[in-house]
Amino acid sequence: MRRALSVARKEVRHVLRDPFTLALALGLPVLLVTFFGFAIDFDVGNIRLSVYDRDRTPASRRLAEVFSASGYFNVQPGVHPEAPSKDLDAEEASAVLIIEPRFYEKAKSGAEAKAQLLLDGADNTSAGTVLGYLSGIQNAAQKRLAPALLSGGNKTGFISLKTRFLFNPELNTQWFTVPGLAVIVVGLLSIMLTALTVAREWENGSMELLLSTPVEPAEIVLGKLSPYVALSLSALLIVYLVARLIFRMPFAGSHLLFFGSSLLFLVACLAQGLLISVAVRQQQIAMQLSIVTSLLPSMLLSGFIFPVESMPAFFQYFTMILPPRWFLAVSRGVFLKGMGAVELAGPLAVLLLMDIVLITAATKRFKRDLET
Amino acid sequence: MNPSVDVSHLSIRFGSFTAVDDISFSVYPGEIFGFLGANGAGKTTTIRMLLGLLKPSSGEATVAGLAFEDGAAGAGRAIKNKVGYMSQRFTLYNDLTVSENLAFAAGLRKMSKDALERRTRELFEFIGFTHPASTLVKDLPGGLKQELALAAALLHEPEIVFLDEPTAGVAPAARARFWALIRKLAGSGKTVFVTTHYMDEAEHCGRIALMRAGRIIALDTPENLKAKAFPEPLVELEEADEALLGRLKAEPAVLDMRPHGMRWHLALKDEQSWRELEKRLPPGAARRIAPSLEDVFVRLVEGADR
Repeated sequence: MRRALSVARKEVRHVLRDPFTLALALGLPVLLVTFFGFAIDFDVGNIRLSVYDRDRTPASRRLAEVFSASGYFNVQPGVHPEAPSKDLDAEEASAVLIIEPRFYEKAKSGAEAKAQLLLDGADNTSAGTVLGYLSGIQNAAQKRLAPALLSGGNKTGFISLKTRFLFNPELNTQWFTVPGLAVIVVGLLSIMLTALTVAREWENGSMELLLSTPVEPAEIVLGKLSPYVALSLSALLIVYLVARLIFRMPFAGSHLLFFGSSLLFLVACLAQGLLISVAVRQQQIAMQLSIVTSLLPSMLLSGFIFPVESMPAFFQYFTMILPPRWFLAVSRGVFLKGMGAVELAGPLAVLLLMDIVLITAATKRFKRDLET
Repeated sequence: MNPSVDVSHLSIRFGSFTAVDDISFSVYPGEIFGFLGANGAGKTTTIRMLLGLLKPSSGEATVAGLAFEDGAAGAGRAIKNKVGYMSQRFTLYNDLTVSENLAFAAGLRKMSKDALERRTRELFEFIGFTHPASTLVKDLPGGLKQELALAAALLHEPEIVFLDEPTAGVAPAARARFWALIRKLAGSGKTVFVTTHYMDEAEHCGRIALMRAGRIIALDTPENLKAKAFPEPLVELEEADEALLGRLKAEPAVLDMRPHGMRWHLALKDEQSWRELEKRLPPGAARRIAPSLEDVFVRLVEGADR
C-alpha cells in the first residue's frame, strides 16, 4: 500500500507540475459541455408552414393560429392551391397544413373533422421533432377550439392522439443533452488521462526502473488510478456546477447517489484507459485507441443521441459493454427524474462489475508482460 | 567467496533471433565487472534478465545467491531488494525535484522517513552534491543527473549495482568523476556490474566481458586481455604517406596494420623485427605502444568473425 501511495504521490506531482494537463482536465470539460450544450439543440424552430384553409371559418382560422402561436412555425399562405405538396417539393415550405372544407361543421356535429399535416420527411430529424410537437399543439388546439365547439354536440373533444412528455415537460433539449454531454466529455477525458500515463513510462524507460524495484503491478495500477479519480471527479463537479448555474438545470435526485455513481463510472473509464496504456505501451497508439474506443461509441451508441431501445437487437446488446450507456441512464435518471439507488441498482451493479473487471484486466496484463 | 552474480549458459531468444547466446560468468563482491560491446550486442538484455525483467529462454542465473526461479515472486522480490539499477534510457523524473525523486525511490522500497533522511545525507556527501534538494532535476547538468541517479540506485543500500551505460552522453570531466565514484563504491565492498561502449572506461574495470552478437568472446582483466590478444609488439606510426604504407604492407614482419585516427597501428612479428624497423624509419616516426582495449576489441571481433 505504501508503494501504491508513493506512485500516486509521484503522479500527483507530475500533474501539478504540468499546468497543461491540469487545465485540460478541469477546463476542457466545462468548455465542451457549455459549447455543445448550446450548440446541440434538437429543438426545431422557424419551420415554414403553408396553410391551405379550405374551410375559412373562425374555427379553422383558430386551428391555424394554434400552429403559429406555438412558436415553432412561421405560417404562410399556400402557394400551390391545386397541389399543396408542391410547396414541399419546391422547398417553399417544410410543412403543409390542409384544413378540409366543412371542418367546423363536422367538428361541431361530432363527426370526423379532418386536417392534414404534410411534413418534409427528407430531414427526418426535424420531421420527428415536429411530430413530437404535434401533441402539444393538439392540446392547445383543443383548448382554443373548445369554446367554438361547446355549443355543438361534441362532448369528447375531437383530438384523439394523446402523448405526454414526462420529466421534461417543455422538452427542453438542453436539460436532456447536458447530463449526457457531461457523461461523454468527462468519460472521454478520463480515458485519455490514464491512457498516456503508463505508456509514457514505458516510452521514456522509467517503467523498467520501476519494475526493477519490488513494486507490484497491482500497486502501480492503483497508484496510477487514484490521482486521476480525484482529478476527473473534480472535472465532473465543475461540469455539474455549469449545468446547474449556466443551464439552470433542475436536479431532482440525491447528490450522494449522483457523485457515488459518477465515481463508479469514472473509475471504469480510467481503468479502460489504463488497460489500453498497459497493453500498447506507446503513447500515440494509446491515444488513438482511447479515442476510437470511447468517442464514437459513447456519442452514438450510449443512448446520448439515439435511444438504445431503438437500435437493432445486436447493438442493444453491444452497448452493454459501454460504461457511458449505463451511466447515462443514471445521470439522466438522477438529474431529471430523481431516481433512487434502488431503481438504478441495475446500472450501478454493472458499472461496479466493469470497474472490477477492467482493473483486474489491467493488472493481469501488466503481470503477463513481465513474464515474457 | 560466493559470487554476487553467477550466470551459466544463459540464453534468450526473441522469435528466431538469439539476443543472448549461451553466456557464463561469475562476478564477485567488491568487483567492478565491465560488459563491453557495441549497441545491440546483448549487454542490456543480459542485465534485464539479471534484474528479473526478462525471462531467460534457457540457462541459470543467481543474483545475491538467489535464483528468480526459486519460489517465484518471493525470490524475485528478495533479489530486487538486494540490487540497485541505473538504466541507460531513464534516470530521474525531470519534472520532480531531487528530493521528490529520492522520496519516490524510497517509497517503492518502503524505506522509513528517517532512513531516507540518513541515506540522502550520506549519498549527497558521497557524490559531493551541494545543490538544494528542492532543485528540479531538469535544471541540473547532465553529469550531476547521472550522479544523482546513482545515488537513487544506492538509496536502499543494495549489495549489487547494475549500471547500464551510466556515462552515455556525459562530458569527459563528468565521466571521470563518475568513475571515481564507481571505484569508491567497489572499494566499500559493493559489486558493480557496469556496461559501457567507451573503451577508455573499460580500463577501470577489474574484469571485462567482451560481448558481440549475444556471445561473450573474451573475459579477463584488461591487462590479460591485452597480453592475450597482442602477444607481439604493437607500434604506432605517425602520419605516413602512401609510399611508406605500401612498403610497410609488403614487409613480412608486419603482421597486421590498420588506421587509428590519423595514425596507423602495426602489429609486428616479434621484438627483433621492431628493432630493425625502428632503424629504417625516420626518428620519431614510430613508437612502441601498449595496446589499448580498442585494439584488443577490434582484433578479437575480427578474430571472432573470421
